[in-house]
Amino acid sequence: MSTELSTAEPTTRSGSDDQPSQRGGRRSAGLAAFGFLALPAGLVIVLLIVPFLVTAGDSFFSDNGLTRSFVGFANYLALLSDSGFGHALLNTVFWVIGTLVLPVLLGLIFAVLFNSVSWGVVARWAVTLPYALSGSATALLWTFLLNSDGAINQALAAIGLSGLQQEWLLHWPMNTITMIVVAAWQGTGAALILFLIGLQAIPAETIEAGKLDGAGGVRMFTQIIVPQLRPMAVVVIGISIVNSLKTFDIVWLLTRGGPGTQSETLALTMYRETFTLNRYGYGAAVSVVLTIIVVAASWLYLRRQVGHGKES
Amino acid sequence: MFETPMISRRRLLGSAAALGAGSLGLSGCAGTLTRPAPGNVVTFINTNATWTPGFDAVSTVLDRLVGYVLQSRPVSDTSQFQQMVRMSARTDTSADLIKWWTGYRLVDVARDGMLADVTSVWDEAEKRGWINDPQLKETFSYQGRQYGMPLYKTYYVFFYSKKAFRDADVEVPTSWDELMEVCEALKAAGITPIASSGATSWESCIWFGQLVAGTDHDFYDQLCRGEASYLDQPALDAMELWSELYQRGFFSAPDIESEAMPGLFNSGEVGMHLYGTWNTGSFVGAGLTDDDFGAFLVPPVPGGEPEVIVESSPLSISAGAHKSEAAMEIERAWLHPEVQKEWVGFLQDLSANPAVLPPAAAARDVAAEVERIEPRQSIRYWEASPPVLVEGNVEDLSAFMTDPTPANARATLTKLQKRSEVEWEAWRLG
Repeated sequence: MSTELSTAEPTTRSGSDDQPSQRGGRRSAGLAAFGFLALPAGLVIVLLIVPFLVTAGDSFFSDNGLTRSFVGFANYLALLSDSGFGHALLNTVFWVIGTLVLPVLLGLIFAVLFNSVSWGVVARWAVTLPYALSGSATALLWTFLLNSDGAINQALAAIGLSGLQQEWLLHWPMNTITMIVVAAWQGTGAALILFLIGLQAIPAETIEAGKLDGAGGVRMFTQIIVPQLRPMAVVVIGISIVNSLKTFDIVWLLTRGGPGTQSETLALTMYRETFTLNRYGYGAAVSVVLTIIVVAASWLYLRRQVGHGKES
Repeated sequence: MFETPMISRRRLLGSAAALGAGSLGLSGCAGTLTRPAPGNVVTFINTNATWTPGFDAVSTVLDRLVGYVLQSRPVSDTSQFQQMVRMSARTDTSADLIKWWTGYRLVDVARDGMLADVTSVWDEAEKRGWINDPQLKETFSYQGRQYGMPLYKTYYVFFYSKKAFRDADVEVPTSWDELMEVCEALKAAGITPIASSGATSWESCIWFGQLVAGTDHDFYDQLCRGEASYLDQPALDAMELWSELYQRGFFSAPDIESEAMPGLFNSGEVGMHLYGTWNTGSFVGAGLTDDDFGAFLVPPVPGGEPEVIVESSPLSISAGAHKSEAAMEIERAWLHPEVQKEWVGFLQDLSANPAVLPPAAAARDVAAEVERIEPRQSIRYWEASPPVLVEGNVEDLSAFMTDPTPANARATLTKLQKRSEVEWEAWRLG
C-alpha cells in the first residue's frame, strides 16, 4: 500500500499555474499561524508587556495614590542612595546562593540516592510532601516552630540543650539563613521530582556501559549521571534563580521583612514602598530594577547554558 | 441514531472568546461598585471582618432612627485596604463610608480631597451633649474642619491576669515603684511580668509612645509635630528606661503574639499586657470573665505625670460617595446613645460618647479611672506623625526590641532622627 502511494505518478503542472496557488497557500498558512499566535501573543502583550511599561512609566512620578507629579529619575536616584535597598539586594543575593546550594544540591543528591534503593518511594514521598503545602501553611507551621517560645526552643530546653536556643527570626543574618532553610525544606521536593524525571530518562545502556568500563559510586555519579542530567539541571537551576530573585511569601509571612527591614528582599522592598508606604512611584522604580535583574540573570544564564548545549 | 455534532477548533475558540466577552460584559453590568447600593443600604469599607456582626446589630438601630443600614465591606489586610480605598477614590467605585485613621493619616488623605467634611455633624453632636472632647476632635481635624466621627475611643492600658496576680500575691500597682515591685514578684513566681509584642509589627510603637509621652507630655507633642529632636533628653531618658526594663527581665520575647494573650492570661503565664481597650473584646470572646482579667492605667513614669495614650478611628464619608446624604445621616446618628449602646455592647471598647459604657468591667474601670485621675491624653504614635515617617520609625523600634541595649537605644534614636529630617521635609512639600 505504501509502496503504491510512494510510487504513484506525480502530478505535473505548469509553473505558471502553480506559483499563485503556492503563494496563496503560503499566505493562508501565514494567516493561520498568525491566528494561532495572536491569542497568546496578545495575552503576553496585555498581561505582561503593557503592565511593565505602565509600571516603568509610573516610576518617573511621585505618586501617593491620590495625587502624582513627574519627578524624572528622582526615584531611581533615591533608590541608589537608600541603604535599605542595598541591604535588600544583599539579602536577595543570599537567597539566590542559598537556593542554589540547598534545594538544588539536596534535590540532586536525594534523587540519585532514592532512585536506587528499595525504600526510595517512601523517602521520595517524605521529601516531596512539603512541596504540596501552601506557602501560608508552611509559614504557619514554621512560625509555631521558630518563635522564641516556639516548639524548637522548647524541645531544646526539654532535652537539656538550652544553650542552643536561639531567637531564630529576630536577628540578621540568622533570620535570613533560617528562612532559606525553611524554603529548602519546602522546595527540595520540586527539584527532586525534576531530577528523578531526568534520571529515569538516562538510557540504561549508558549506565551499563559505564559499569562495564569500571565506573561506580562517586565516579559514576560525577562522570556519567551528572553530565546526563545536564538538560534537567539547566531547567532546575534556571527556575531556582528566578524564584529566589523573586522571594516574597515565606519572608513576608515569617518576619514581614523585619525586624526593621533586616530580612527584606527586593520583592518585599517593592511591596513595602508601594503598598505600605503608598509611594507608588518609588515602588515602581524598585520593581523595574527587580525585573531588569531577573530578566538579565535569566537571559545570561540561559544564553550561556543553551549556547553551551548547542556547541556540545 | 443521532449524529454527534462536530465542533471545529475555530468554533470552539470562537465560542470561548464569545463566552469570555459575554462574561466581561455581564460582570460590567452586574458590578455594584460603580452604582449606589440598592434601597436603604449604605456601603462601608473597613479593616475589621470580625466586626461585621456588630455593624449588623447597629444597623437595626440606625434603620429605626434614620432609615439606613450599613453594608460592611471588610478588607482585613491593611495594605490591601489602603490600596482599595485610594484607588477607588480615583474612580467612581468608592464605598460610601470609610473607616480610616486619625491624626496625620487623616490629614494625609483629607488634604488630597479623599474625605468629605463632616464639621456640621460634629458640631451638632457637641450641642446634643454626645461628645465633648477637644483633644480627640483635634485628631479628626484638618485645617480646623472635621473629616470623620469617632468609631470608638480606646485607651492604652495594662490588661492584667488576675490568676497571675493571685499566684504572685500582688495587687494592682498605683505608682511606678509599685509597678516595679509587681514585676519583680511576678518574675520571681516564674511568670512573664509584661508581654510585649512588636518584633515585626506596629506594636513596637506602643511602649515607645507610652514612655516618651509619660516622661514629658509636651515634648512628645513637639516631637510628633517635628518640632523636637529624637536625640533630645526626654527621648533618650525614655529609651533608657525601656532598655532598663528589658535588662531587668520584665518583658517577654518580642515575637510573642498579642492574639495569644487570652490563653496566656487564663493560664497565668503572663502578668500584664499594655494594649488598647479595644482588645477587651478578645478576652471576652475567648471566654474570660471579669474574674479572670482586669485593666488599669499605666502609673506615671519617674519624673512624669499621669499619661494615657489614646486611639480612635474615624467613620468618614468618601468624597466620591454614591449616597453621601445617607452616609451623612448615619454620621449624624452615630454617637446617638442608642446606637453607641448597641455598638460598644458588641465591641466591648469605650465610646466617644462618655455617657455610654460597655458591659465588661475592665473597660468600665478604665473609664472610671480616667475620669478620676484625669491623665493627660496623647494620640497614639502610629497616627501622631506623617505616615511614612512613622512606618519607618516603627520598623527601627521593632529592631530595637530585638536588641534592647542602652547602646542600641541611642543608635536607634539617631536613625529615627535622620529619617525625621528627611520625611518632615517631604511631608511639608507634599
